Amino acid sequence: MSNQEMYDVTIIGAGPVGLFTAFYAGMRSMSVKLIDSLPEVGGQLSALYPEKYIYDVAGFPKVKAQELVDVLTEQANQFSPTICLNESVENVVKLEDGTFQLTTNEKSHYSRTVIITAGAGAFQPRELKVDNAEKYRNKCLHYFIKDLNQFKDRRVLVCGGGDSAVDWALSLEPIAKEVTLIHRRNKFRAHEHSVELLKKSSVNVRTPYEVGEIIGNDDAIEQILVKEVRGEDTFLLDVDDLVVNFGFVTSLGPLKNWGLEIDKNSIVVNSKMETNIPGIYAAGDVCTYEGKVKLIATGFGEAPIAVSQAKTVVDPDAKLFAGHSTSLFASPTK
Amino acid sequence: MAIYTMVNQDTCISCGACGASAPDLFDYNEEGLSYFIGDNNLGNTPIDEDLIDDLEDAIDGCPTDSIKMSKEAFNGDPSKADSVTV
Repeated sequence: MSNQEMYDVTIIGAGPVGLFTAFYAGMRSMSVKLIDSLPEVGGQLSALYPEKYIYDVAGFPKVKAQELVDVLTEQANQFSPTICLNESVENVVKLEDGTFQLTTNEKSHYSRTVIITAGAGAFQPRELKVDNAEKYRNKCLHYFIKDLNQFKDRRVLVCGGGDSAVDWALSLEPIAKEVTLIHRRNKFRAHEHSVELLKKSSVNVRTPYEVGEIIGNDDAIEQILVKEVRGEDTFLLDVDDLVVNFGFVTSLGPLKNWGLEIDKNSIVVNSKMETNIPGIYAAGDVCTYEGKVKLIATGFGEAPIAVSQAKTVVDPDAKLFAGHSTSLFASPTK
Repeated sequence: MAIYTMVNQDTCISCGACGASAPDLFDYNEEGLSYFIGDNNLGNTPIDEDLIDDLEDAIDGCPTDSIKMSKEAFNGDPSKADSVTV
């Protein structure tokens, strides 16, 4: 499937810097598309530490990571960017007319300029390493939960020891028919408070156990063989759905093959945030230059530089600096 | 059994997950990369037994599998990690 619509700028990565880039490009009256590999915006902040406080974002004495993502999303959405989630950009090619074709695992996108705000690369859930797991993925093996109600009256096995696993087990408890939580070790690394709630709940907690085998037909899981870690004990559990929360893995992956100059896993840019490929810019943790400091705060500064440069490529008559937001919002055609 | 650890700084993305799970074992260096506090990331100093749980949490949570664990000293070479994983 191909979407031929040409955007002024396509932003790869919807973490904090990608979201702010989308806002700033929208404010500069550019048509904006934002692509991310995860099912939600927010990048590392939402995937790795949504509940952690961040203390070095200008204007916020302290802010929880997810709350920062929420306000950045609200800010970006003022200009209604097109947001494509669950898509990993696999290749970027410059076409003869100077525009770009971005190919994802889903389709092709077309853009006059590209800004890469991919942070540490495309995040993916750490997968369950059991032979036939892939067969059940997105059917009854879930790495993400979008709608709790799909588990109504189902028998659910949750795997993992972090906050996500414990929180999902607790959220599923009143909805599912029965919930079992297994973890490879006896100690959970989730918040103490969540673990206390877990102990008081009806969730059947078994440690130190892991999934040994998935037993089922082509469409549905019927049973899970659960086995003791470093032990001999096994038991069979009747299960309709398997929820796996083993955290996330990331790597720059295909980005390294797009012809960009890379230094120590980062894209080399100049003071204009230009990469070695004209029309492609980078901002945030994914880029590097002399003196680079990898902070959200720095990325927020780099985003308007990249956008302003991209704007002059899309519209050669546009000013690099069109003025302050106080006046831009009053006359948004600049 | 002595357990050793170090961080593969070639793959570390400075996300801070290890320092949050195991603050007595890992911290950031001047470049913002994580390192094993015990001996400046050489991986030659066995960790305290009561920190093994924290280490396993850090290994579980690292999105780039950069936290290494071994029964033998690393001598600064993260590729020496053996199969002593969680």
